[in-house]
Formats: sequence, C-alpha cells, structure tokens
Amino acid sequence: MKKIVSLVLAIAMLLAILPNIAAMAEGEKTTLKVVSWDVYSGSAAWHAAIKDGFEAAYPNVEIEYVDLVSGNEYATVAGVQLAGGDTSDVYFIKEIPQIQQWSDQGFLANLDELVAEVDLSGLMGMENNLRASDGLLYALPFRSDFWVMFYNKDIFNAAGVPYPTNDWTWAEYVEIAEQLTQGEGIDKVYGTYHHTWLSAAVNWAVCDGVYTFGDGNYDPLKYFYEMIQELEDAGACMEYSEIRALGIGYRDMIYGGDTAMLPMGTWLVGGMINEKAAGTFDFDWSFASVPHKDDIAAKSTFGNLTGVSINKNATNPDVAWEFVKWLSGEEGAKAIAAVGTRPAYVSDAVVAAYSSVVGFPTDATALDALLPNMVSIEVPPGAKVPELMTIVNQEHSLIMTDEVTIDEGIASMNERAAEVMAD
Amino acid sequence: MATTVKQIPTYKPGKRQRRNTLIAYSFLAPNLIGFAVITLIPVILSVALAFFNWNGGTLDKISWAGLDNFKLIFDNFSFTKNDLGISLKNTVLYTAVSVPLTIAFSLGFAMVLNRAARAAKTFRMIFFFPYIASIVAICTCWNYILFKYGPVNTFLNYLGLHMTKSWTQSRDFAIWSLIIVNVWRHAGYYMVMYIAGLQNIPKELYEAAIVDGANAWQKFRKITLPMLTPTTFFVSIMLTITCFKVFDIVVLMTEGGPGRATQMLVTYIYELCFTQIKYGVASAVAMVLLAVVVLITIFQFKAEKKWVNYL
Repeated sequence: MKKIVSLVLAIAMLLAILPNIAAMAEGEKTTLKVVSWDVYSGSAAWHAAIKDGFEAAYPNVEIEYVDLVSGNEYATVAGVQLAGGDTSDVYFIKEIPQIQQWSDQGFLANLDELVAEVDLSGLMGMENNLRASDGLLYALPFRSDFWVMFYNKDIFNAAGVPYPTNDWTWAEYVEIAEQLTQGEGIDKVYGTYHHTWLSAAVNWAVCDGVYTFGDGNYDPLKYFYEMIQELEDAGACMEYSEIRALGIGYRDMIYGGDTAMLPMGTWLVGGMINEKAAGTFDFDWSFASVPHKDDIAAKSTFGNLTGVSINKNATNPDVAWEFVKWLSGEEGAKAIAAVGTRPAYVSDAVVAAYSSVVGFPTDATALDALLPNMVSIEVPPGAKVPELMTIVNQEHSLIMTDEVTIDEGIASMNERAAEVMAD
Repeated sequence: MATTVKQIPTYKPGKRQRRNTLIAYSFLAPNLIGFAVITLIPVILSVALAFFNWNGGTLDKISWAGLDNFKLIFDNFSFTKNDLGISLKNTVLYTAVSVPLTIAFSLGFAMVLNRAARAAKTFRMIFFFPYIASIVAICTCWNYILFKYGPVNTFLNYLGLHMTKSWTQSRDFAIWSLIIVNVWRHAGYYMVMYIAGLQNIPKELYEAAIVDGANAWQKFRKITLPMLTPTTFFVSIMLTITCFKVFDIVVLMTEGGPGRATQMLVTYIYELCFTQIKYGVASAVAMVLLAVVVLITIFQFKAEKKWVNYL
C-alpha cells in the first residue's frame, strides 16, 4: 500500500514539473496578467485585438486576461482583489474615480517618471484628466469614448424625416422623436431611447465644460429632467419605470429596431458593426453628435476615458510598463481602432484605421461627429464624489418614477449634497 | 459486616488519555480550522474594524477612530432622512410582516398537505419548488407579474382599484413586492418543517379529543397549535434572521429604490463597503445589525418559556 502511495505521489510531482520543462524548452516566455471585464463577452473584440497586437510586437510575452464581472461591479471586485494583495501586472481602469480611490489606497504604481521618456502627443493632454488629486499620474488612457447619437436610417426613411445633423438642439431632437414614434403595443417603435443611467438622462448638463457633478448643486439637471418627462409623456421614449421593471437592455432596443434614435457612448460602434455583420439586424445605421442646449456650442459632448494602470505589487513591472506604453501609444491605438473601438491616442494613421473598419458609417455627418468641439468628463474624480453620486442616483430614481416632482427631487439632492460637502 | 469498598480508579490523564484527546481534536481540526479561517476570524476583525478608519488599501492606511464611525451613522438619526434610520425601519417592517405571514402560509399548507395521498405529495413538491429555484429567475418572473400592466395590476384594476405603477417602481408598493416574493419563496420550505412537526403529534391526543366531542377548530386550537410550538419557535427564529439579512431579492428587484424606499441594512452595508469603500463605517452598521438581531433572539428565547410546550 505504502509503495503504491509513494509511486502515485512521485508521478504527480513529475507531472507538475513537466509543463515548466516544456516552457523552458520554448525559451523564457513571460506571462503578463491583465485584469479587465467582459473579456470574452461584450468587449471581446478589442481585448482580442490588444492581445494579438501586443504578442505580435513582443513575441516573448504572453497576455493572460483575468476576466472579472462586467458592468458596474468591475470597480468593486477589482478593488477588493487589489486590497487582497493581488500580483496581477496590469489593471484596466473602467471609471476615472477608480484612479483616485486606488491611488489613495496605494494600489497603483506611479507613472510620472516613466512617462517623461515617451511621446504622448497623440493623447493631446487627455492623460492629465486622469491625474489624481495629488497631481500624480497613475494611469494612462487608451480608450476615449464619448456620447453620440445613434440612429436607424430605415425608420427615418420610412417616416420621410431627414437624418439628424450635428447641430441639432435638444428642442429639435424632442420634436423629431415625437414625429418618429409610431405603432402601439408590441409593434410600437419609439422615437428615441434614454437608458436608466444618470448619464443617459441628465449628464448632458456637464457638456458646457464648466458644470460637474462634484459641485454639489444639481439645478442644471432640471432642464434635462423636464425634457425626458416631455418625451415620456408624449410616449416618444420608453418610460424609466418600464425599463427598470422589465430589465430592458439598450442594445436590444436598437438592434431590435424598436427605437429610431439612441444617445449612447461610442463603445456601441463596435457592437453595431459586429452585430450587423453577424446578421442580428439588417437596417442601415449611422450616428451624429448629441444635440446641444441653445446656450452652448454644437458638437459638445461628455465622455469617459478608459485607462490602463500598473499594480504596485506587479510580478513583472517592467513588462507591464512596456505594455502600458504600447497600448496607450500609436501602435495600441491602431490595433483597437481596427475593430471599431475609439482609442485615446489620435493620429492620422489611427483615424484612418478607425473609420476604415468594414461596416463603419461613411457619411460626412458621422465622420465629423468623431471630432467633437469639446468632451467634458462624465464624472470628475474627487474624494466625495462617490458619496454624492449615491445620493444623486437615489433621487434620480425617485424623479424618474414620478415619486417626487423634479423640483422636489433636485431640492433633496442639493440638501443632502450640502450635508456631505459640509463633513 | 466487613465490606470491602472497591476502589474506583481515579482519573489520571495518562499517556493513553492524552493520545485519545489528540486524536479527537485531529478529527475536529479540518472543520474547526475552516470555521476559524473563513468565519470566526473575519467576524472578530469586522467587529474591530468598526472602531477604525479604513478606506481600503494597505494595512498602514488604518487609523484608530474610536466611536467616530458610530457617531457618523447615528448623526441626525431619523427614520425618514438618515440612511441608518431608513434602512432600519425598512428592515424591521419587512421582517415584522414577512415572519408571521410566512408562518401562517407554511402552517396552512402543512395542515392541508399532511396526508399520505399521492396528490398531497405532488403539491408538497410544487410548494417546495420556489425554495430551490434560482432566485434570479424568480425575481425576473415576479418583476413581470408585478409590472404596471402585469397580471396582478390587471386584476386589481378589474376590481376597481386604480393601479398605475409597477410595484417595484413605487415608493409605497416596492417593499410589499419584496415581502410577497419572500413569503412565496420561504413558505414551502417551512411547510416541510411543519409537516414533520404535525407527524410527531401523538394520534391518541386527537382520539381523546374526539371522544370528548371536540370539533375541528377546538382540536386545532387546543392540540395542534400547542403541540407545534417548538416548531413555530424554531421557524420564527430562523425566519427572523433570514429576513434581517435580506439582500438578494432587493438587489434583483428594486436595487434599494425608488430612492431609499427599499434600502435594507445589508444593502446599506454593501453600498458603504463596496461603492463608497468605507470599511470602518460599513462595519459599524454591521454591528448595529448584529445588535438588533441578538436583542431580538434573546427576547425570543426569554419569551420561549411562556408559550413553547415541550412534551
């Protein structure tokens, strides 16, 4: 019996060593662990493009993605993993406030010294939006998504309405949305669709480049709450409470041809191209700039940067820096642009790669909309911002379900925010 | 008479004894170590954390806070404005309604289905099903059932009530939609316990009652209910604790909204801990939750002597 046990153990040990021997035979290959979200589902295309592109440029490195939960929970789960002393090399930053939180907590490696030696002109200073409150840089941007307005050309054609232009005001937008709404019940086609997020409803208030959600005053949201209410009352967009109760997804609305227009981030471009190619839908589509308020310039929008950062506990910090440099530079930008994802680094070659993706809208309006006049930051960094956003989101749900009036809701936001700001 | 007192061997912890003890501990060790590492130590740490400031990060970022975290959550305490007050009020309302309702339904089902007929077995299975079904699927279905134009509202409108909102999207109804789902989900599970309790009641008691001319209500009131009190006691404690730590249904159906209408203690802890990354404050709220549950359980055990009958 003892002999059998020791034999089994010996074989097990041999088997455990074998892969290492095989790896050694191939020559030293470093595995770079990159933490991200939706690696194999919603964001599969650009993740694959990054992996393929980087491995082609650096044949001795293999990228291994660590796929955490998707959506809003990414920041939470990744933060907990970092707090546990994880040694993965690279963390993608989904939302800017993460940088503040994680650098405060000492999770991220400082990049200032490293950055000094590379040419980041193509980022056009965007990296400065990622600086933490100590003025230091802990992440570089590699994607820059901003909001545009997608539309279904077939619905516009059928209704005989001219396509959106980049200089629409919100008033014109509401008028056209009501005009495009038709049908009843299951066949109903809505003029437009505003998702339940704060960003899809009232974040337009930050497009003036001055106002931010960190200010603690929410009066500027009133204009947009009234606009959404008007659209809902006219039946021109699906009601918030209906979307919430039924768990409707914005992608289903546009893919299914259930809405004529959809204000959404440029991250949807890749999805639209791929889904059309896969046969999910067959209508023609394009996008234009989001409409603007009368008192600000046309082609003003807001957006979010997706960053890449290095874990302070990284196993391979040097390789991680090579990766960050590559990804936020021109080569990485070309790689992700080639699959319809908008990179942060912009140069003629990158723009050419982006807009020449098969299936990318070719009309002049869309190409012009790719170069906004101003891109404000969706939610600014700041120590009190997470708490403020919790409050705004709670009151947002009350206003949107008509549980309180717009004025009551905003008054409550201001009152509760004042308490937070006073602490 | 000379009696020889047989000397009882005195207890001497000899080598053998010690070895036996060690063997016993070694059998317990895997379980105890697991319990200590994944339950006991984290619990103790979270109690301690309530008295520290820690917003995550490396351990050198921890600083002593004393009672500051508690001061913060009890600051301006009110049941309508303060986060802790609102979640405490919601959790207590949710529990106070859910527990008696679940007990009533599970006892009712048990009474009806406590028979050997094949149909009864089938129905028992059907009533038990919600407990093993995926909670995500359950909540999705209930969201549809309680939808603005869903079957429940259609029926209520037919009765002349004017229902214009989805239950989960209304401040007044949202918490009731959670209670309905909770009762529906747990009634079948506790029904099984009640059936076991019912089957343990000696038949002689009923026979004697029949001889004395007792009617069905009297038998239920004077025999069944008193004999079931140990089961009811157990069920009420289990249910109270389950209700106090409600989380899944809230996240899946209302996300604590609209506003803070369905914010519970645990969802508030989650929000503080994982969205705002304030581990110390979140632990302080967790201590409040612990204190409330402990107080209620002590009360239940004290009251036990007054109403629970053991044979």
